[in-house]
Amino acid sequence: MKWSQFFSTSIGKKLLVGATGFFLCTFLIVHLAGNFSLMKDDGGQAFNLYADFMGHNLLIQALAWGLKAVIVIHAFLAIQLTIRNQKARPVKYAVKPGNKTSSWFSRQMAIMGSILLIFIVIHLANFWWKMHYGGIPTSVYDGKKVGDLYTVVWKAFGKVELVALYVVGMIALAFHLVHGFKSSMQTFGFNHPKYNGMINFIGLWIFGILIPALFALIPVYIYFNKI
Amino acid sequence: MKLTLKVWRQKNVQDKGRFENYEVSDVSKDMSFLELFDVLNERLINEGKEPIAFDHDCREGICGACSMYINGRAHGPWEQTTTCQLHMRAYNDGDTIVVEPWRAAAFPVIKDLTVDRSAFDRIIQAGGYISVNTGNAVDANAIPIEKHDADMAFAAAACIGCGACVAACKNSSAMLFTSAKVSQLALLPQGHPERTSRAEDMVMQMDKEGFGSCTNTGACEAECPKGISISNIARMNREFFSAGFTS
Amino acid sequence: MLNAKIPAGPLETKWSKYKSTVKLVNPANKRKLEIIVVGTGLAGASAAASLGELGYKVKVFCFQDSARRAHSIAAQGGINAAKNYQNDGDSVFRLFYDTVKGGDYRAREGNVYRLSEVSGNIIDQCVAQGVPFAREYGGLLSNRSFGGTQVQRTFYAAGQTGQQLLLGAYSALERQVALGTVKQYTRHEMLEVVKIDGKARGIIARNLTTGKLERHFGHAVLICSGGYGNVFFLSTNAMGSNVTAAWKAHKAGAFFGNPCFTQIHPTCIPVSGDHQSKLTLMSESLRNDGRIWVPKKKDDQRKATDIPEEERDYYLERRYPAFGNLVPRDVASRAAKERCDAGYGVGTSKMAVYLDYADAIKRYGTIEAGKRGEENASEEEIIKMGKGVVAEKYGNLFDMYAKITGENPYETPMRIYPAVHYTMGGLWVDYELMTTVPGLYALGEANFSDHGANRLGASALMQGLADGYFVIPYTIGNYLADDIHTKAIPTDHPAFVEAENKVKNTLDTLMNIKGKHSVDHFHKALGKIMWDKCGMARNAKGLEEAIREIQALREEFWKDVRIPGEQNELNPELEKAGRVADFLELGELMCRDALQRNESCGGHFREEYQDAEGEAKRDDENFAFVAAWEYKGPSNFDLHKEKLEFEIVHPTQRSYK
Repeated sequence: MKWSQFFSTSIGKKLLVGATGFFLCTFLIVHLAGNFSLMKDDGGQAFNLYADFMGHNLLIQALAWGLKAVIVIHAFLAIQLTIRNQKARPVKYAVKPGNKTSSWFSRQMAIMGSILLIFIVIHLANFWWKMHYGGIPTSVYDGKKVGDLYTVVWKAFGKVELVALYVVGMIALAFHLVHGFKSSMQTFGFNHPKYNGMINFIGLWIFGILIPALFALIPVYIYFNKI
Repeated sequence: MKLTLKVWRQKNVQDKGRFENYEVSDVSKDMSFLELFDVLNERLINEGKEPIAFDHDCREGICGACSMYINGRAHGPWEQTTTCQLHMRAYNDGDTIVVEPWRAAAFPVIKDLTVDRSAFDRIIQAGGYISVNTGNAVDANAIPIEKHDADMAFAAAACIGCGACVAACKNSSAMLFTSAKVSQLALLPQGHPERTSRAEDMVMQMDKEGFGSCTNTGACEAECPKGISISNIARMNREFFSAGFTS
Repeated sequence: MLNAKIPAGPLETKWSKYKSTVKLVNPANKRKLEIIVVGTGLAGASAAASLGELGYKVKVFCFQDSARRAHSIAAQGGINAAKNYQNDGDSVFRLFYDTVKGGDYRAREGNVYRLSEVSGNIIDQCVAQGVPFAREYGGLLSNRSFGGTQVQRTFYAAGQTGQQLLLGAYSALERQVALGTVKQYTRHEMLEVVKIDGKARGIIARNLTTGKLERHFGHAVLICSGGYGNVFFLSTNAMGSNVTAAWKAHKAGAFFGNPCFTQIHPTCIPVSGDHQSKLTLMSESLRNDGRIWVPKKKDDQRKATDIPEEERDYYLERRYPAFGNLVPRDVASRAAKERCDAGYGVGTSKMAVYLDYADAIKRYGTIEAGKRGEENASEEEIIKMGKGVVAEKYGNLFDMYAKITGENPYETPMRIYPAVHYTMGGLWVDYELMTTVPGLYALGEANFSDHGANRLGASALMQGLADGYFVIPYTIGNYLADDIHTKAIPTDHPAFVEAENKVKNTLDTLMNIKGKHSVDHFHKALGKIMWDKCGMARNAKGLEEAIREIQALREEFWKDVRIPGEQNELNPELEKAGRVADFLELGELMCRDALQRNESCGGHFREEYQDAEGEAKRDDENFAFVAAWEYKGPSNFDLHKEKLEFEIVHPTQRSYK
């Protein structure tokens, strides 16, 4: 079987969606770790140095572009599969089973994913675009001049509408991952009575609740402690 | 009991189809769901109308012919039960029951509640077998098979090919059906010589028939009258990857 | 006298000698020979697949939407094979002996011996196909005893053996379809055999989706369309099971063998009302542990659990102390009918007996308590453990019972009653499975088969697969070897045109009757006549009445049946009408056959022929023959006899006391 054939099958595509999704999950952990430096009471030094490092290290830069590509692939294939799935049932049922046969989360992947995609675009425009292509203020640490993203972020989250947007984004993320994580495991073929409990636990509590909650907490915290 | 049935009527594959309402009285709780349709059909015939066409045969839950989507549920509200085994005890006087055919592009409606499930046959033709001509077999006890594997193979082989998995899936995916056969044959040593081509060919045929892809909602497992587990889908994914990565 | 063409020589070497001397067809010629197979059950699917593998050009037809749905799928218990894996003294001879005896000495020795010989190969073949039979912890196949045999020779896959075997044969068939050797026609019903120069040369089939009639040529035609139990309307058969293909073959010249031999299965769920459309079988294995009883008092209104032990009549244990609840099917069924007719029946209809698991639950509970070392377990705990064991063994059957009746069989005894299950009769075939029409074969339940007057449990699956996998692939060559010069006959041949017109006329006539009553109305009426007068017990007076009543009903049917819809579309009522029309002719023949057989044997019990204790009296002197009926016209059948010779197993009275 040629690779092109493999990836043109529904399962091949799903493998890519699952793998890119899983990669994005691991990225969330790194991203979240970085975000915590926002909370450090050092006037933004740790965060700005971290942001500068992330912005100028070549390897990280390559990874960052890779990350964007992963998001695009994930979204593109998911949309392609969703369209295919819609076509698979041209006449819809008059009565639907609701939550009797499947969880609500598992049926909203496309919608939550779309909200997330919009969120990511706004998120990138707000911070990443500004840092790279817009002018942002600078700070100097130990003679090194770096962009002061810290201030940009703190200012931004002083606005209630942006905080609200981020909270909504993180709720969408939570809903997406409650099903997304364990679904990717099933797609990879990891389904074993000994491990299913653990997979479900990680999917629900770590990726479905803990990580999105922590992400959401930061803007809320900033809002209530604004400069 | 007195019930209102809202049944999908469609003359043929070209017809657009519509719901029609029927009041049925004197429904006994001991009737099966299909016997309710028998009674209704008998009345329709006596009234000079056309009876409702629906697939059914063994009426004991094993042939896989019956296929009604009842109030949003494939094979109705009882767990692990085919429509023919569903009894009217499940309903109360005055209930309205909406009955639709399996809906999927790969299962075109032939008439009323009857759909064409030959896509399933073609998936099996793509590789759902072990290539052993009659007379080629070694002694049945020549290959011992671990009981656990044999039992799991049996659990997968219990599939009756009714298509409830497709009907219940929001994507009309046939992954549960296909994976049940792939799993059965992957779990048995007899199936190993062909496992690579089997996984590839059956999955490609499944795609070709126009079934949707799996989003792991688990609705198929919840509605399967034989309780086939979605762990079979995971196994088919593994089979497919090992085929795709190495062949 | 009919010649069954049983090879000469000792019983043990008949089949092997036949195989090594039979004519062969070379592979290049096989490609040019076309075979039509009607039906995709165990016999049809296995035959079509095996013949495809050999290189013949095969066309296979079924009325269902998929070959996988044939009613073989519903067989629960298991399949017999003389493997002797259990080291309990089984052998080909013993299986042969048990089958001939169980069939009440009305089967052919040569055929039955062949069946026993190939039984082991069937298991090998099925395992190789991936049929997941039950296994022991060591990884080897498990066996159970079934139907009261003294050895454990039954292979099984939970309560779904038929399903697993059929899916095995179906997968082999689909493989041939994929390879292009077999062409598959689903939702097609055979409505006529086409004969040219006295030989079967094809069929007329109706495409059930479009209603179009199709002509198909074949050098040979195989009828594998199952049994005709649905002549009784209520039976354990599938709703679509019918005699049409076999009956058309019969009317085209194939003799019909022993039509009155029907098997009534003792453990079915009783009728619950007029709406009843079919009966559900509960596996015979339930009799291994359950005890059957009725109250000692007539018309006892108490709940089963309120009737004390001393007021219960365990009538099978009473009448047949040696075999008790495990007597063969025919005996158990008649005994239940006897009790109910005498007024001791239970349930609302009073046409049921109890199948009680209370003792088994206690017994298993005690054993389980012993195993766990809980000697002081309370009665309640013992019952709980016992229920667990019973659930493990019979859980799926108990669940099924609960679903259908709404009662909990763990708490209250199940109600059971006999129901029509299998027909031993069918198209008469010789040793090569050929009917009296050259080139027309019958396999599986559709032929009059190897079960004599009564089939043993787990033998139907064996016979269907033996015929399809291991008999027809050899015997058909013997006929086709002489046919290699016959080119495919174009279907515009006058014989095809004539046959199609005949079918067309029948369909037109049916559609144009536009009467008052539905097809089911007539089918139910026929079923009632058959059940009352040609069912578990028959007598001359009743049979004569039945013949007249059926004739009258048939006349009424052709005047007053109403078929809605159109001919050229999916029309289930039209399909049913055609089938019921054939049942209305078959029913009469069954009664005639039952009337001529002045003896009681196996599934055929004539009330006039019983001893003082109500046991069947067989008449070997006058009735050790196969009744093969020739169709001569409406209500006109000629009886031919094939004498049965018993060289090895000498008939004795079957005694289970």
